[in-house]
Amino acid sequence: MNTMTEERKVTLVIVAGITLALLVFSFVTTGDAGDFAITIMSGLFQGMLLFLVASGLSIVFGLMDILNFAQGAFFMIGAYIGYEIHHATGLIDIIPDPNIRFVLSLIGATMIGAIMGWILERVLLRPLYVRPLFQLVLTFGVALVMLEIVKSIWGVRPRNWTDTFSILESSFTVFGQPFTLYRPFVVVVGIALIISIALLLNRTRIGIIIRAGVEDAEMVEALGINVRAVFTLVFTLGSAVAALGGGVAAPFLGASLEMGNAFLLAAIAVVVLGGLGSYEGTAIASILVGLSVAVVAKFATQYINQPVWASITPMLVLIIILLIRPSGLFGKER
Amino acid sequence: MTNLLRKTLQNNWIYLAILVALIVLPHAIGWFTGDGPFGMQVGRRFMVIGQSVTWQGRLSQIFIFAILAMSYNIIFGFTGVISFGHALFFGIGGYMLGVMLQFSDLGVNEAMIFGVVGGLILSGIASFAMGLVSLRLRGVYFAVFTLAVAEAVYIYFTRYRPTGAEDGFTFSDMPTFIEPTRNPLNFYYISLILCVLVFLFIRRLMYSPTGAIMLAIRENEERAKSIGYDTLRYKLFAITVAGMIASLAGMLHVMLNSKRVGPEILGVNFTVEPLLMTIIGGVGTFLGPVIGAAGLRVSESTLRELVITIGDNRINVGDSWEIILGFLFIIVVMVFPQGVVGTWMRWRATRQAKRLNAAISSQKATASGD
Repeated sequence: MNTMTEERKVTLVIVAGITLALLVFSFVTTGDAGDFAITIMSGLFQGMLLFLVASGLSIVFGLMDILNFAQGAFFMIGAYIGYEIHHATGLIDIIPDPNIRFVLSLIGATMIGAIMGWILERVLLRPLYVRPLFQLVLTFGVALVMLEIVKSIWGVRPRNWTDTFSILESSFTVFGQPFTLYRPFVVVVGIALIISIALLLNRTRIGIIIRAGVEDAEMVEALGINVRAVFTLVFTLGSAVAALGGGVAAPFLGASLEMGNAFLLAAIAVVVLGGLGSYEGTAIASILVGLSVAVVAKFATQYINQPVWASITPMLVLIIILLIRPSGLFGKER
Repeated sequence: MTNLLRKTLQNNWIYLAILVALIVLPHAIGWFTGDGPFGMQVGRRFMVIGQSVTWQGRLSQIFIFAILAMSYNIIFGFTGVISFGHALFFGIGGYMLGVMLQFSDLGVNEAMIFGVVGGLILSGIASFAMGLVSLRLRGVYFAVFTLAVAEAVYIYFTRYRPTGAEDGFTFSDMPTFIEPTRNPLNFYYISLILCVLVFLFIRRLMYSPTGAIMLAIRENEERAKSIGYDTLRYKLFAITVAGMIASLAGMLHVMLNSKRVGPEILGVNFTVEPLLMTIIGGVGTFLGPVIGAAGLRVSESTLRELVITIGDNRINVGDSWEIILGFLFIIVVMVFPQGVVGTWMRWRATRQAKRLNAAISSQKATASGD
């Protein structure tokens, strides 16, 4: 036990060190307090979006050993649903207030994500628990089908968010730089979600069962607990959170067919980076990756004029960390 | 000697029959449709067209994907290591060949030779290096590490100007005798021969002591290690061989694909496709990846062109063929748990066992009757 905490300390020091190095690097290279604040804010924003996709992936993988390739598709569908609820002409007539419609769009996206996740788990994944490899293929097939359904409903043209609402409109200034309020809003939502899921995992009975299931699902079942029902719940929750992430991202990124896969790869990287089966690892890794992407993006556009490095950053961070720590930041040696 | 020959024929007649059919097929189609196996020349660009040529193109594509899937099966099916970065080696092959043919000052034939050899060597080095740094990672960590490396290279090449960034480039010249647009039949036979050679090579490899150790690693790596095998070395060997064969497939792919080299050949699709082909066909079987490749390609190309007419409504299936493909995955996964070949082999085994049981019980009955 003592060695475990020792290792944790080392990890925390590493994370703190990298974060500090990123902040200092960014502060020195941007050379402007406003630019620096924007960079950090956008890093946190991206980190939170990543976390919304990755959290479900992380818990589902920890509990059921499924790498859910459909998670990105849930994110994408959340974005489209959110967009549609906010922009559908029929709804605008009924509910003219855009703020209420925004809240509704988030709720709608989450609900749809939850329903689809529930169906996917109950109907398709449940018969396959004895064959984990095939679940991977299955979720891939499902992702393909979902992408095509979205394509046939909304077409290939990406949707840009045109209708605005008060959080998106209003802005404040930091060091003379105007800021949209939406980014801090997303960051707050993300942090609230991190805390509430952590509370759910650590303070409730169902959370204890989930954590025990991550350790050893068979043992939990032997204790007379219906692990299958917990699986369903967790999968539904994961899909719902991913769809919520899509709904939150839509006002900023719009809705497009590519966004699902783009976020999926980064989310997988984040989950592995944080250490499989470690929820806090995923949360910390999301923020770390988000920050480094933003910092590198800023640096690359400002100095070397090669923005490609920003897209590669999540992968590079993953490669470097895995070489230092073969089980990710908070993962256990398996 | 004749006995041995007869036995070999008996065990392999199905493969030989398929091979003969594939050799004859272009001529047969050409003869039936009257287009001839070499196709007809149109225009001044030396393009040839015809029914037989169309089919040669399709089949060549299947052979290429079969090579790719078989190479993936070496690490995934026989050694039990899941890599998500296989497209990297496929892409390296394609890029190396394309760069040599387009950007070097060598003559066409020399450039071709250098491209092929260089691509094989480079992908061998790349896969060896990747294995060296990452094979100590376990399971999913390894899979995602390889994914990260491949994805990073892919993203880099989508922005890399000298090779045309996202649009890629098209190399204009290649030796005429294997150019798929001018001499499709030659290209067809070359890809067929390579496919067969790879198949035979893998079969030979897996029946060798090295192959046996690879299987042991798949079944239980800890045990293989404790017996005293340096498992890392064998895994390294497997990933290097697989990477080199994949680069071969990549070279053939860019030749067939209108000589276009674009970053998508490094993309995750070319990892996922062989993965799915292997799983659908049968993981860890010799013929599985080939069948998976053929099944996937054929269903894709037929679904793309399928138009159903119900009454006055013409439904163009091609618009939504990917949905059907997705459902096809789901169905195959649910129905064929061991892949097509695995399920077939299991079915045959149970049938034989039943027959044996029946024979034994009937013998017992006669024995007790006496």
